Amino acid sequence: MSFLTPLFLLSLAGLAVPVIIHLIQRERKNVVQFPSLMFLQRIPYQSVQRRRIRNWPLLLLRLAALALIVAAFARPFLRRQALAAAAAGGAREVIVLIDKSYSMGYGDRWARATAAARDAIARVGPADRASVVFFSSGAEVALRSTPDRSRLNAAVVTGKPGAGATRYGPALKLAGSIASESPLPQRDVILISDFQRAGWQGADGVRLPDGVALTPVPIGEADTANVSVTPVTLQRSTFSEQDRVTVTGGITNHGSKAVANLEMTLEVDGRAVQTGRVSAEPNSSASVTFAAFTPAGHNTRGTVRIANDALPLDNAFNFTVSPKDPLRIFIAERPGAPRDGSLYLSRALALGETPPFDIATKSIDTITADDLQRTSVVILNDAPVAQLTAERLGAFVARGGGLLIALGSRGTWPAVTGAADILPALPGQPVDRTSGQSARLGALEYGNPIFEPFRAPRSGDFSGARFYTYRAVTPAKDAQIIARFDDGAAALIERRVGNGRVLLWTSTLDLQGNDLPLKSVFLPFVHRMVTTLASYADRPAWLTVGDVLEAPRAAPVPGATRQVTPRVVLTPSGERVALDGEGPDVLELTEQGFYEVRAQARDAAAPMTVASNIDLGESDLTTMDPQEVVAGAMGRAGGAAAAGTNVTATDQEQERNQRIWWYLLFAGIVILGLETLVGNRVSRTQGSGLRGA
Amino acid sequence: MLNTTSIPGARFVDPVVLSRIGNLELVARHVVDGFINGMHRSPYFGASVDFAEHRGYVAGDDIRRVDWRLYARTDRFYIKEYEADTNANFSVLLDVSKSMGFGSRGITKLEYAKMLSGCLTYLVHKQRDRVGMIAFDSDIVEHVPPSAKHMDIVLHTLDRLKPGGPGSLRAPLHKMAEHFGRRGLLVLISDLYEDPDAVLEAVGPLRFRGNDIIVFHLLDPAELDFTFDTPSAFEDLETGEQIPVVPDALAEQYRSLVRAHIDALQERFSGSRIDYFLVNTSSPLDHALFSYLSSRDRFARVR
Repeated sequence: MSFLTPLFLLSLAGLAVPVIIHLIQRERKNVVQFPSLMFLQRIPYQSVQRRRIRNWPLLLLRLAALALIVAAFARPFLRRQALAAAAAGGAREVIVLIDKSYSMGYGDRWARATAAARDAIARVGPADRASVVFFSSGAEVALRSTPDRSRLNAAVVTGKPGAGATRYGPALKLAGSIASESPLPQRDVILISDFQRAGWQGADGVRLPDGVALTPVPIGEADTANVSVTPVTLQRSTFSEQDRVTVTGGITNHGSKAVANLEMTLEVDGRAVQTGRVSAEPNSSASVTFAAFTPAGHNTRGTVRIANDALPLDNAFNFTVSPKDPLRIFIAERPGAPRDGSLYLSRALALGETPPFDIATKSIDTITADDLQRTSVVILNDAPVAQLTAERLGAFVARGGGLLIALGSRGTWPAVTGAADILPALPGQPVDRTSGQSARLGALEYGNPIFEPFRAPRSGDFSGARFYTYRAVTPAKDAQIIARFDDGAAALIERRVGNGRVLLWTSTLDLQGNDLPLKSVFLPFVHRMVTTLASYADRPAWLTVGDVLEAPRAAPVPGATRQVTPRVVLTPSGERVALDGEGPDVLELTEQGFYEVRAQARDAAAPMTVASNIDLGESDLTTMDPQEVVAGAMGRAGGAAAAGTNVTATDQEQERNQRIWWYLLFAGIVILGLETLVGNRVSRTQGSGLRGA
Repeated sequence: MLNTTSIPGARFVDPVVLSRIGNLELVARHVVDGFINGMHRSPYFGASVDFAEHRGYVAGDDIRRVDWRLYARTDRFYIKEYEADTNANFSVLLDVSKSMGFGSRGITKLEYAKMLSGCLTYLVHKQRDRVGMIAFDSDIVEHVPPSAKHMDIVLHTLDRLKPGGPGSLRAPLHKMAEHFGRRGLLVLISDLYEDPDAVLEAVGPLRFRGNDIIVFHLLDPAELDFTFDTPSAFEDLETGEQIPVVPDALAEQYRSLVRAHIDALQERFSGSRIDYFLVNTSSPLDHALFSYLSSRDRFARVR
């Protein structure tokens, strides 16, 4: 039972009035002035008699009448009866949204959440239907629209707190879609959550359909204490030609009490190697820097861990480290080129850190197939290409290699077809801009990965470089000009061939044709060209739950036989997920820990390990007002359904549900009348008794 | 009875009351000392025409008072003593404590006491005795010394009196005992809300000095019968203290306590040869005077 105007229940305090009248006021109302209490004070004080209620029936009648009248004004309505009656008038579609973000693992929140869900299911009538939806950063339907309460309860039991962060938007959208598809007249959404502030970023564009009531069931505690491990900082250094990693781990104390001497452990490949101690004031952070260690191999697993508290999931932070593999670059020069012919190029590449570059410089006529097998990028610096070399390079690019051709003044390419036809443009005659105004780079495709870092203002100025000579070219059909000179001539052309790319630079990479090598943008420009050609991507040390794990796979080579290597992802909980290559090779991270991607082939490479961590925003257990979510989702505060929906049925039903106040008022009036009769009778009796005395 | 004229104090000598009292004068002449000049026996022996007794001569006696005839018969010196007929001092000792302001029947005890005082004073004054009065609560409030010319002052003073503060008998009565140098007739009018022994102890010094004391114990019918029926908070007029009282449960015990108090007072006073009269303010004023004068007469005959 609920009340429409529960504030009226405060009037129940008025029940004390008759009692006070009986007990106190009745004797103290009349003050009689008496000359002396000398004799009265000598008479023993009979407190029992003073307080004894003489007319119990009268008092009870008065109290009952008052209580009934107050209850009538509080406008009670019976929800259960209403639901039972709904079988005839308006059945309900109940959507129970249960938050299973990892903050629900705090203390006994999950037990209380499932209890609240079972309570909501218990109120589902025979004509109603209910759905159970679990949500964290995403939402999933555990059981959809069924009147079977046992199945609904079973669905609730299957849930448990996950590793995701709280996001109300997806859950409310899903609830809205279930509600909008329901034919039932009443639609209620019950949101069971700890209502973390971090989970609500405004209304998120979520708006429940009209007529859908959202009832929040908050189960969070006001006073919480939680310490979480913050993302680590990995600092790399080289010592004795070995790659060393220094890990700095930290904690954030979200509680109101300081933590002192908390033990923080660094685990490498599952083994605790170092331990530090850390203290943090309330709502502040602290960190510990561990001694540097050398990663034993690729995909070395690291974890920074503290002792478990009420919310254990955020007490560990995972990462992976690997020794840095240099990117092998092969610079091919023309035969008889001077020793410093590729000076600027090699110097620029020698400064590479992420990744480091392993540079080999050779004459183009000495290139062998073996050279190309071990290299990632080949740079033809002002070198004429022979037929055989062109074919080898064509095959190299088709396999996924990168080729940068700096035409210079001597660069040529044999007129070939087939596999060797990889040139982005046919080189033409040199253009001499030494007389008059030198050429400048006029238009750059900032959408291309090469120039993307230079997109922002003051991120590199290419217009300062002057070009004195370059080659006129005729771009291929499938090539893309990504840089032009100020006269519109192509400066840099890209063409994708098979799994690889080919870049054609129409000028030189030394001071012969331009002064770009003297400009500050030269080094990043060269680095970007090389890493783009090598399809190099710096793998993050960890991902966050909810991110998508993308297992890279070589694109099919045109004309080649399609060979799909099946791969398996081993999740932290030990589950095996097969990526058969039919669909996109992606997997959403749902657990905290290490995912392992294995290729199921004899010559497969070593498995790839990805560290997965929870969203640390969830560690902040600060709660919000549930009505904020209600207001955002319904466009107004309060959980009642919007007026105007199912007007006829709702009005009748509401009237039926609230009719009880009539009976209460009537009963109160009847009892008042009875009280008058009894009161008169009692006073008559007492009056005659007095006269007789 | 409560007719008030413009003459101050006149209402205390209500003609109706006085007409009834006038019929009592013959009785009063034999009862009250000094009611009528010549009939008032002085407590002093002195010069007058009424022989009292003989006594042996002692050195220092006036030889003119030696009864020579008796000397002739007995050869011894005897002195003749006469009862002195003289004007007596009459004072009303009126309790004006706050409890005297109580009244349940339209007249308070103090008003009743004022009228009683007025009547007595008037009667005494008519005998040409010296009249005075003292009003007191816990201390002496008003003091009119006894004098044959103070009748008007006494009536004026009575008219002004209002209930004062908390009352006490001991301190003011002891102070009065110090004050009265000459023996006289003292009428104490009070509600006597003190322990009987304490009352007697307060009155004692006055009695020891030879004063003739008459006590009027004034009580309202409500104080005597306790006719309340509604449970109420009873507030002490003098202290302001309140206690909840259920009259039905307490009335009988109260009445027995009051009776015991009155009996104790009566016993104590009679033991000390002090005249005590309980006056119910619901009874007519002349009843009180009549019962008083009657009892005085009875006592006088006994003596």
